[in-house]
Order: sequence, then structure tokens, then C-alpha cells
Amino acid sequence: MPVQSPPAFHGFGLGLRIPHYADFVATQQPVDFVEVVSENFMVEGGRPLDIIDRVRERYRVALHGVSMNLGSVDEVDTLYLRRLRRLAERVDPLWVSDHVSWTGIDGFNSHDLLPLPYTEESLDVLATNVAIAQDVLGRALVLENPSTYIAFAGSSMTEAGFLAALCERTGCYLLLDVNNVYVSATNHGLNPDDWLDGLPLERVRQVHLAGHSQGRDMLIDTHDAPVPDPVWQLYARFASRLGRVATMIERDDHIPPLGELLTELQHARAIASSPEPCPA
Amino acid sequence: MKLDALQRRFAASLTGLGGSGEFDERGMRVYANNYRGQLIAALGDTYAKTRAWLGDDDFDGVAARYVDAHAPSSWTLDDYGHDFADMLEAEYPNDPDVSELAWLDGTLRRAFSGPDAVALELDALGADDWDRVEFVFVPTLRFRRLRSNAVAVWKALADESMPPGAARLDADGGVRVWRRGLSPQFASMDAHECACLDLALAGATFAEICEQITRWHGHASTAPEAGRLLRAWIGDGLVLRLRQG
Repeated sequence: MPVQSPPAFHGFGLGLRIPHYADFVATQQPVDFVEVVSENFMVEGGRPLDIIDRVRERYRVALHGVSMNLGSVDEVDTLYLRRLRRLAERVDPLWVSDHVSWTGIDGFNSHDLLPLPYTEESLDVLATNVAIAQDVLGRALVLENPSTYIAFAGSSMTEAGFLAALCERTGCYLLLDVNNVYVSATNHGLNPDDWLDGLPLERVRQVHLAGHSQGRDMLIDTHDAPVPDPVWQLYARFASRLGRVATMIERDDHIPPLGELLTELQHARAIASSPEPCPA
Repeated sequence: MKLDALQRRFAASLTGLGGSGEFDERGMRVYANNYRGQLIAALGDTYAKTRAWLGDDDFDGVAARYVDAHAPSSWTLDDYGHDFADMLEAEYPNDPDVSELAWLDGTLRRAFSGPDAVALELDALGADDWDRVEFVFVPTLRFRRLRSNAVAVWKALADESMPPGAARLDADGGVRVWRRGLSPQFASMDAHECACLDLALAGATFAEICEQITRWHGHASTAPEAGRLLRAWIGDGLVLRLRQG
């Protein structure tokens, strides 16, 4: 099947979560797109499909998955992919995204985004699964850098170098999660400002902005707090290098009233339109 | 280390089955906490009324034991916890309200996103040969017999009113769960309706169901009793269509 590239799209959006469904369906909110968690709508029927249809009447939608398990030595699950394809046919999304990670092996699914060593072997496994997924879905994937809490001594390339090679091998695109860059770099003693070095910036189709929390030993990607100043500042420094790219606020827990997220999104717009770093 | 070995050892460490020290312990602690925390939270979300009934500490304790014994395999968290009501039945053998409440929680959740169906309307009800009619029900329909007042407890918890104390049912009965339009529904049933629904789901014809009703109520009452049952099933939106057996 021919693989379709994601369109050039530069809007500002929000991750759509249950507490805000009614707000988005009832009134046109000031966003250019919404992102939904694909698996929440890969259902047989009922209210989730009714909601996505009604949301789609008003907004462009990006499908963001968490269970494609692309980095596993298990071959990617084609039944899952066919179900995702049915949803994509229904929604006609801007793009379909998932993560540069694995979620399980031998049929086990951790429902978490687990880290990969950045090696040629991982690249082979990932590239094979990405190629299968892209073939089944008929579209190029957009893949996100995860937050990581373990770095492998055996890694032979940087995360950015690994992603660059993945793009080169598969033709996939990237979802740059600035919070994940900050969390991973801090946890592994790296400078987040160096993270973009070697990344094919022209492949970045979307940016995530989110909050994190301080765990006992390291930063945890909890998505339960406003975007903190260090992430805004990193985004401001990245924005001038990235140029115009779809950007959104991602909040999964302690979800505030919609107005608070729209204010955060307005701050992202201001940063993206400003040539200078613009701390919150 | 080859990637397949690394991933198997990582998964074992995550679920507490692996040896310690293979991976950075601080990082593995985060992944292990995320893994267990997310699964316990998913159970708490699906079985919200059961959690309210048991109390957070007791529920989380059972949920943690469930996570220890049940590694997830599906791509969707919606599939996690299918055996949770059975585990509660084993853990609370003298308190059927607990497992029956959990069955209701889980079945309503599955009905929420189950297959769509347009139920047969009363005014479209008709058949050439009623004796040979079999019922095809909406795909979300499930039922079970109950020993406790779990339905009353669930309703009170949903209404945020004071639930009744746990009690055994005076008479045999059950509950059916289905989805009408977009809304999951449930309704209590007496023992006779349970038996009839059991028969119908097993493929019994309307005549066979009527024979059963006759054994309970006698010939004179068969038609009104069967009519009452039919009106309830059709009126509640349980029946997808009739077919000739």
C-alpha cells in the first residue's frame, strides 16, 4: 500500500481528555486541532465513537497511540494495526503517532513506554516494525521520543542520532516531546540543549508540551501539572530551530478547567511567534 | 546483551519476577511503580463502585494481589480485570455483595463500548410462526443470578446516597446488563425471568419458553405471563430481532 506523508500543518492544539469532551463538542474552542489517545477510541461502538465523530465535525484530529509496541522483538500486532486503521479511516486524522519504545514481549503488555538501548540491533527491530505498521496503515508514522529512567551502557548512539537513523530507514516523522527531552536529559545527566543536535528537524511534525514531577531519585513524566518554566524555556530555545510546527499541551492527570489549558496554549503561541526565549 | 534477552529480563524485573541489580535500580523502581500503579488505577476506574464499597485501602490491597497474579496481555487496558470479580468471590466467600458488585461494574463498563445495535421496537414486533420464534439479543446483553442486594448497593453508590447494608436476597433473582443507544442499562430480574432469559440465550424457541411458564403458572396464565415478559424485553431494548428456529 502506498504510504501517505503527514501534511504540513502548523496549528496549536490540546490533548482531548474526558473532562473536556462536553466543552469541545458543545462549542468551538480556540484550538486548531485536538489529539486523542487512539486506544480510547479503538472500540466496537458506544459513546467513544459517538464522541470522536462529533469532535471530528469541529476539529482536525491527531491520533496518538501508546500500544503499538514498535520497539519489541515481538512482531508488531497486525490485528491491533487493522483496528487502528479502521479508526483512522473513520477519523481521517492529521497523522497517526506512537512512541519510540516497547511495551511488552512474549504477549505481555506492560502498558508503559519502556526504554530501548540505542543500538543497531534496536534500530533493526524498530525499523522492521515501523515498516510493517506503515504498510498496514498506509501512512507514514509520527514517532515520539519517550521519557526514560534507565540508560543502557550498550547504547552506541545518541537518542537524536537513533531517531535520525530511524527516519532515514523508514521515512517516518517525529513528534518532539520537549518535556520528555527535559526529563530524560535531566535523569541521565545530559544537557537538554544539546538534544536536537543531529536530529533531522525537517521531520518534526508535532511538539508536545507537558509537565512532570520530582520523584525520589529522578524526574517523572507524570503529565499532571502545568508546563514548568524549564520546559517553557527549553521550548523557547527549540522553537527558533524548529520553525513552524504543530504544537500542543498534553495533560493526563489532575486535569484543570479547560480555560487553564487554553491559557497555557496561548503561552505556547506567544513563544512560537517570538524570536527570543520567552520564559513563563 | 541481545535485545530479546534484555527485554525478557526487563519485563521480569518489571513484574517482580526478575533478579535484582540487572538494571539501574532507581530507574527500574520508577518503571515498576508506573506498571503497578497504572494497573491498580485501571482496576479502580473500572470497578469504581466496588472500590467505594470496600474502601480504598482494602480495594487497593486486593487489586495489588490481582496485579501480582495477572500480567496484562491485551493492547487495551479495557481488557484488564476480566477475572477480578472471580478473585473477589474467592477472597470474600461469605460476602457475595462484593463480587456481584464487581460483576456489575465490569459488565457495565464493557457494555459502554460494546458493539452498536438497533433494538427491535414494539410496533415492529411480528412473526409468522410464534411457536418457532427464537430471540436474537443485542450483543451487549449479559446476565447473572445474584445472591445479594448488590443492585441496590450499586444504585445507591451511583446516586451518592447512603447504600443499604449488605444483605442476602430473600428470593432468587438476578440482573441483566445491556446498552440501549449510548447508555449502559441494568435491571433486576426475578427467578422466572432469569430462567427464561437463560433459555432464550441458549436458543430456546418461544414455545419452549412458554412451556416453562406453563409449568410455573398453569395454562390460564401462560399468555399474560409470556406477554409481560415479551413486552419487558422488547420495551427495554434487549431484542435485536426475531428469527424462525
